[in-house]
Amino acid sequence: MTFIRKYTLTIILTVLLVVLSVWSIFIGVIDLDLKSILQGDSEQVWLLLVSRLPRLLAILCTGMGMSVAGLIMQQLCMNKFVSPTTGATISAAKLGILIAFAFMPSSTIWSRALFSFAFALLGTWLFVWFIQRIKFKDTIMVPLIGIMFGNVIGGITSFISYHFEMTQALSSWETGHFSMVLRGRYEIVYLVVPLLILAFLFSNHFNIVGMGKDFSSNLGVNYKAVLFMGLTIAAAITASVVVVVGSISYIGLIIPNIVAMFKGDKIRGTLIDTALFGALFVLVCDMLARVIIAPYELPIALIIGIVGSVLYIMMLMRRLKHGRKAVRLASHGGGGCQ
Amino acid sequence: MNVQNLTKKYDGKAVVDTVSFEIPKGKVTSLIGPNGAGKSTVMGMISRLIAKDAGLINFEDKDISKWKSKELAKRLAILTQHNNIQMKLTVKELVAFGRFPYSGSRLNQEDYDIIDQAIAYMELEEFRDRFIDELSGGQRQRAYIAMAIAQDTEYLLLDEPTNNLDIYHATNMMKTVRRLCDELGKTVVLVLHEINYAAFYSDYICAFLDGKIAKFGTVDEVITKETLSEVYKVDFEIMEIAGKPLTIYY
Amino acid sequence: MKNAAYKKNLRKLMILAILMLAAAALYMLWNVNFTNPKFLKYSLSLRFPKMCTMLIAAFAIGAASIVFQSIINNTIVTPCLLGMNSLYTLLHTVVYFFLGSASFLATNANAAFVVDLVLMIVVATIIYGYFFKKTNYNILYVLLIGTVLTSFFGSIQSTLVRVMDPNEYESLLVTLVASFDQVNAEIIILCVILLGVLAFVLRKDLALLDVITLGKEQAINLGVDYDRCIRRLLIGVTACIAIATAMVGPISFLGLIIANLGRQIMKTYRHSHLIIGSSLFGMIALVGGQLLVEHVFNYSVPVSTFITLSGGIYFLFLLLRQKKG
Repeated sequence: MTFIRKYTLTIILTVLLVVLSVWSIFIGVIDLDLKSILQGDSEQVWLLLVSRLPRLLAILCTGMGMSVAGLIMQQLCMNKFVSPTTGATISAAKLGILIAFAFMPSSTIWSRALFSFAFALLGTWLFVWFIQRIKFKDTIMVPLIGIMFGNVIGGITSFISYHFEMTQALSSWETGHFSMVLRGRYEIVYLVVPLLILAFLFSNHFNIVGMGKDFSSNLGVNYKAVLFMGLTIAAAITASVVVVVGSISYIGLIIPNIVAMFKGDKIRGTLIDTALFGALFVLVCDMLARVIIAPYELPIALIIGIVGSVLYIMMLMRRLKHGRKAVRLASHGGGGCQ
Repeated sequence: MNVQNLTKKYDGKAVVDTVSFEIPKGKVTSLIGPNGAGKSTVMGMISRLIAKDAGLINFEDKDISKWKSKELAKRLAILTQHNNIQMKLTVKELVAFGRFPYSGSRLNQEDYDIIDQAIAYMELEEFRDRFIDELSGGQRQRAYIAMAIAQDTEYLLLDEPTNNLDIYHATNMMKTVRRLCDELGKTVVLVLHEINYAAFYSDYICAFLDGKIAKFGTVDEVITKETLSEVYKVDFEIMEIAGKPLTIYY
Repeated sequence: MKNAAYKKNLRKLMILAILMLAAAALYMLWNVNFTNPKFLKYSLSLRFPKMCTMLIAAFAIGAASIVFQSIINNTIVTPCLLGMNSLYTLLHTVVYFFLGSASFLATNANAAFVVDLVLMIVVATIIYGYFFKKTNYNILYVLLIGTVLTSFFGSIQSTLVRVMDPNEYESLLVTLVASFDQVNAEIIILCVILLGVLAFVLRKDLALLDVITLGKEQAINLGVDYDRCIRRLLIGVTACIAIATAMVGPISFLGLIIANLGRQIMKTYRHSHLIIGSSLFGMIALVGGQLLVEHVFNYSVPVSTFITLSGGIYFLFLLLRQKKG
């Protein structure tokens, strides 16, 4: 009984995810039906294996990966507004892909992924290094700086793409979408799975490092090593998602925050729920994207952009209303970058 | 200045709950109480930094929200705990801002005289051309007080002025507060954590507990074993030194 | 009692002004044919509007950046956070997508300018004004919401681009790159008037900037109507950036560079000096950059490239330079 109560949310999310996953397989231009698949209708099985199933798996990996990447970054930076979007990870990953394209035109998806990963890691690392050196008097300042940083990288990216006349190639990564996910061109996204397992194994370490340098040294945790590993995992997840489906903002920002509203901030307890909820969120958005103007489909980034903006603004307003910060006479904390 | 039924709510919970009191003119009044008792919030509301939810604040027989902000700035100065300035600003330039309510950015000779007096009063002459961020905590606090003096207001509100100061600087700060009241005739209201500073240097004390006033009165009336034990929930002993009550808590 | 530092700053401003005039003169007179008055007139008439455009853009962006940094109380942010660039990009994409590159709005520069400007200012004022009230005048939340909307505009824009006719896209792309070349006299005059009106309307708020940098509590203590002033200034900054963007296209990092250089050189809290100093820096940078582009690189790289690249590098430098807080 207590087991069920403790894991109510997890169980609900899992059931919902399974049901919707199966349902989503049967949404599309060509009707699939269970009977013919079971009878071994080769055309239907082919469609299932080459298009529908890869798409579903890519969606699940994207949702889980991006939301967990966000969760890890938020934990490590002790800031609820940090995420691959607001921490320059996505824009750096895009720059990496573009550079691979521009300077090695014959590059495979794997070498692009490698470039993208290297840049994502560098960008994230630089950003985190910077925000840790400076104590901001306001937590909101951190995502604003991150967005500035992202804008700067984006500016360089669009300059290079303009210069090499690759803007249209770039626009494919500008808007995340699953319509190009087919067997043979998406498998890199499976990298998310081992990374998620790794994240789960080290989730307690991330929690401790999130409490600060002194706190973690006190508990015998190597602060720098864990911080570096956490950011590496987040950057690797982001890079493998961006290479396959393009950039999708907000997932890493919103999902961990929503889950934390229900379950608190202990990462071990929330990691699985965050991953499940992230997958569910992306799946629902993808189904919407496929249904709204069927038989055509909208890019998922647009749907997530709309749903995400609304949710995010609601989240901000809620935080503003309920944040206890304003109780203190001086709304600015001490320290600051003097 | 008097306050009637002042209330402030956060998340539906009253942090300051129907508080009424009057601040005696020309005296030093200290607001004390445990963390979260609402003293700083009261201070914020009577200085218009925090909007009140209900109640009235009468300042010189006029609702404080009806005052023009600039006029109020000539009569009432507030110094909060955290001042952090990103600009490169010298002590003299900071103090000069105290004249802003009077002359804007164009200062006249009278303003410069008042600025010099304020700097002299806080014994900051040797630092006048030093940058604020190069000063020690005590010196910086003095510079801010000098600015408040230059503002030339009758009322001076200080939110935990001894916070982060060592014993030497904190005690000097309290002596300055006393002098501002005795020599310049200012009405000073402070939020204080150290009860003994409050007991030794103020005329009146207002003790807060859970958003309400537990006791308001002269030092001798408030600094009693019973009141303090009730407010702080620890045992107190009261001794007398130099004719003033001194508290010991354990 | 103007002290030595004040006089020193005036001197620095004088030097900057002289440098600016020298750059402007060099730009106007480089390689012109003095012997033939016809050629002289022709090349001057080509160069003069271009130079005016650069000077105006530099002033608008420099002033807006300084004001913006001061009201946010942070020197590594720039008004590009306000999302005017993505609004501009979205507007142009919508025009090209729905009306086509042959439409009146796409071909008539004056009409495009007015529509851009009005829409940007109206949308920004509505959004920022609304959220200012909603957030109880918390400017950082307003900005964060602004960036959310920016990325929202971005996702609409890139969705449109994906389904756009490639030829239309080519012609759209040209308008999305900042350029000083095709700004006509009417627009220049209109910009000058608008900026003048803006400065006049906000003159009282601008005078309060020095006090505002002391922080919210101190500003209120000194009798400033803080919330109102911040709101007016932010909308002013938005309008200023909207004017510059509508005039030359999206310029991102010019403000970052010139505002920080201005602050570094001037070392003062006086905003009158900071604003003039940064604007002069901007003018020197743009005119100098254009000189390089035209005569050293023979137009092979646009000046916005220089700005983007040096802005990016400078931002990294600013990040790395920050002292441990």
